[in-house]
Amino acid sequence: MQEVINGNAKVIEGLTALCSTEDDAIHHSTDSFGNAYHWFRLGTPRMLTQGAQILRDADARLAMVTAYNRRQLSEPMQEICYHFEIQGFIYNMTVTLNGEWPTVPSITPLFANADWHEREMIELYGIQVMGHPNPRRLFLDEELDAGILNEAVPLSIMMNGACTTDLWERILQDKEKQS
Amino acid sequence: MTSTFTMPLGPVHVALEEPVYFNLTVDGEIVRHVDLTSGHVHRGMEAMATQRNLVKNVTLTERVCSLCSNSHSFTYSMAVENVLGITIPDRARYLRVIAEEIKRISSHLFNTAIQAHIIGFKSLFMHVMEVREMMQDLKETVYGNRMNLAANCIGGVKYSVDAALLDYMRNMLDKVEPQVDEIREIYDTNSMVLARTRGLGLLPKEDAIRLGVVGPVARGSGLHLDVRKDSPYAAYPDVEFKTVVEQGCCIHARTMVRLHEIFESFKIIRQCITQLPDGEVTAPMRQIRTAEACARSEAPRGEVFYYIRTNGTDMPARLKWRVPSYMNWEALGVMMRDCNVSDVALITNSIDPCVSCTER
Repeated sequence: MQEVINGNAKVIEGLTALCSTEDDAIHHSTDSFGNAYHWFRLGTPRMLTQGAQILRDADARLAMVTAYNRRQLSEPMQEICYHFEIQGFIYNMTVTLNGEWPTVPSITPLFANADWHEREMIELYGIQVMGHPNPRRLFLDEELDAGILNEAVPLSIMMNGACTTDLWERILQDKEKQS
Repeated sequence: MTSTFTMPLGPVHVALEEPVYFNLTVDGEIVRHVDLTSGHVHRGMEAMATQRNLVKNVTLTERVCSLCSNSHSFTYSMAVENVLGITIPDRARYLRVIAEEIKRISSHLFNTAIQAHIIGFKSLFMHVMEVREMMQDLKETVYGNRMNLAANCIGGVKYSVDAALLDYMRNMLDKVEPQVDEIREIYDTNSMVLARTRGLGLLPKEDAIRLGVVGPVARGSGLHLDVRKDSPYAAYPDVEFKTVVEQGCCIHARTMVRLHEIFESFKIIRQCITQLPDGEVTAPMRQIRTAEACARSEAPRGEVFYYIRTNGTDMPARLKWRVPSYMNWEALGVMMRDCNVSDVALITNSIDPCVSCTER
């Protein structure tokens, strides 16, 4: 039985052309209710702008952006998956980042609601977003290092040392500075 | 002579139910610019999710938010079912929809009640909350809980209902429906409510599209966006209901979308009760593989989106979710442009904001 792929043919063709040549770069799936999901793995992060433009032209809506480490999959790199929706179908565009220089171009100029998503991945995963119009912290305090989710931080440090000697040491340090 | 100055509002304020901090640039009584600072209740829940197994995460995701608690465990369970390739039994599909729609009615009533509270219409506030209380009683009777229903689990639902409970549900709906109809009429005709809501907090259709807003905020600005219709899941393909859309783009339009939607929910629950199939309520778990999947659903506030990546162990390598409020916050900048300082709290309430689920 031939599987019918539901979706926007122009978008599927356009994004397919941007994908890497690996076997698993493109796949299509459906859930048990018959809703279609399309997955594309782009060749390089630079192609993101072209991919976003294709989706913008098709009146797609940016639903979500997910950044994650593949460390748990025993691979060192980071990845970002951009989830778009067109008429009930989901198009997922994944880019793999270079571990040395984790940078992607901003898609906020094309999708206004990418603003928060990009700011969140800057502060939580230390990903650099080139050309972001408003690269401020979104949720976390300015004092925390960028990419905080990449490392394990003891709760006491995260909560400003509320329950250990850490807080006391900090107060003493501040006092010394003042005097 | 006019001069602008900055006025802080929040993070803890009488009219704001949750902690968020607005920096308003005001010119006399008129708001010229809105700057939002959040992060007061960030809980790092996505990091916690990768330290718990798939089953424990049902409980964790249910605690992301209280009003849409059921939508979170629902969508999370669907994401896991998609990633593992589980098809849930028919009876579970219907029971999930019943739980979801009961939550939607309560959630919408809560938001409209708070609107009356901010306007200063105390008796209306108490009246709406009293009607909502009947739905809360229904939840407590059926699920044993008033907020976190604990209805969903991976592969289906944890609860079943017998004929007596279904009768109780039907009777309760018959009692609530005429009262909500009365409430709807008050919101649509009362001069005090209309003076504070109609034509205020405008979000034009173009801005709604540009900012990617969802739920009653999008539908109040004339957008036909409803996950239940666009990509039907659970029992939604089998039931008949309308997507409520209003063209007003103002606070009043958003309120009316919510109030009309309650009646669609009554319709859906009644159909589910009548058509409820017999049989199992859960499907067995499957072998966990390395894969990725997403799932989405229509929560009371709009689309909830989940992404999961598994790595062959029982703990997810990545679990990410996005809540409807996430985009709706930015729409506040448009809605509050040139509004009166006294309307800020009311406009904020009109997006049915949720800080705890935005920050996770």
